Amino acid sequence: MAAPCWRIASRPLWLKISGSVKICGSVRNVSCSSPQLRAAQKLSPAKAASPWVLHGAVCLQRLPVISQDRSPIEEQFMDMMHQIELEKSLMSDHELRLLDDAERMSRKQEADYDSDEEEDYGGQEIVTAQDLEDAWEQKLKQFQPASRTDASDTTDVSSSERCLGNSLVLLVKQDVGSQKLWLLPQQPWEAGETLRQTAERALTSLPGAELKGRFLGNAPCGFYKYKFPKNIQTESSVGAKVFFFKAVLSSGSSPLPLPKDSYAWVRKDELQDYLSPEYLKQVKRFIMHV
Amino acid sequence: MSAILYRSAAQLLSSPALPAGSAVSNVTSVRHSHWFTSVLSLKTTVPLRAEPRKKKKVDPRRDLIVKERLKKKLKKLEKVPPELIPIEDFIIPAKCFDETRVRGTPRLSFEESERRALLLKEWSRFKYSQHQAETADINEALKAQTQALEELKLESEELYNAAVSPDLSLFPFQHQGPSFTPPLTNYEAPDGKYSDITRVYTQ
Repeated sequence: MAAPCWRIASRPLWLKISGSVKICGSVRNVSCSSPQLRAAQKLSPAKAASPWVLHGAVCLQRLPVISQDRSPIEEQFMDMMHQIELEKSLMSDHELRLLDDAERMSRKQEADYDSDEEEDYGGQEIVTAQDLEDAWEQKLKQFQPASRTDASDTTDVSSSERCLGNSLVLLVKQDVGSQKLWLLPQQPWEAGETLRQTAERALTSLPGAELKGRFLGNAPCGFYKYKFPKNIQTESSVGAKVFFFKAVLSSGSSPLPLPKDSYAWVRKDELQDYLSPEYLKQVKRFIMHV
Repeated sequence: MSAILYRSAAQLLSSPALPAGSAVSNVTSVRHSHWFTSVLSLKTTVPLRAEPRKKKKVDPRRDLIVKERLKKKLKKLEKVPPELIPIEDFIIPAKCFDETRVRGTPRLSFEESERRALLLKEWSRFKYSQHQAETADINEALKAQTQALEELKLESEELYNAAVSPDLSLFPFQHQGPSFTPPLTNYEAPDGKYSDITRVYTQ
């Protein structure tokens, strides 16, 4: 009992659909343990119809747009680095000019100031370095950059503009079997296409026409498999295997025409509020922290 | 005595027409030597009297060979090693040695230097833990991918092969990285004026 149980437990994922977890030695597990045998079996013309229904899913990520805020230690270290760099540096032309101007100013204030003694004094208006600095600062103030934090957007989960410093993943509420579940957009695999094409279909099947994703390679980044509840299980479909493909959002910031509650852009730490535990366990593996 | 005898004996041998009685005299008749022609004939020298010289075919070639040798020597002298292009980064500009630019070295208090040392240590610990977390994330993602590929292989060979085949449309991959502030919508950046002063060297 112990050995088979351990092997089954090490296999990832059982979706707890109706609260009943079936642990039974299926044909699948036996064949999994001997891949060579299986390969030999494959040579026979009747390819052993695997009892798993294949799905392709897309993990669409909007990568960060702005840099993250610095932690306290990072702030301290940055200040210290700036200080050390300043101490070890030489003075630039602009600084020398500032010092000269300051010296000339102080000489002008003296009572016995004679302008003829001044060298390089052409008799015309001198633009001091300080004036230049003021002019530059004025010019900088004319430019208003966009603000880093837009507090209103952090809570609106359906907008892809929230949390610009983190990468967001797109989740949709789809019906699987009889239930509506939050998951990464997926589509069942059809014969004659590769799984990547299935994932691309999953992306395009979402109503938002602007969502364009750049897929990162032909290989899946993760998978999740689950068994159907006993009443749905047939000979050829014991369960389903979902293969995830990573994609990077390349364009499209307009909200999807889906109803607001059926899709969400979430950070990695918010995933647990939406996904079921076993599904989450697999999905978290390939989503990077930042 | 013996020398005179020897000389007269040699003369006797060279001019057999001489009568035996006049062997003692050193003066031989001019006519009998090929070095002295008759007084009546034209005065010619030996080279002039020789046969017309045959134009040796080697002569023009010899001239050419001499010319080539001279040219080669000239080339060797002219061969100057090409001047190496200076690497601008390795030349310290003269401004750095200007002493007027040196800032007064600040005296750090003991507390300040201690604070800096402790902060550096804390920073190294922070960065180490950050790196560990990053490598753990990457390894986890890699494991997830290899497991997914294994499972796919168990499913169907052709799908596995399609997944493992390289994606040629992926590279060159370009992505705009994060900036400090988000991009402004409908912003037109003004053209900046610049003068390019990079030095171009030719060898």
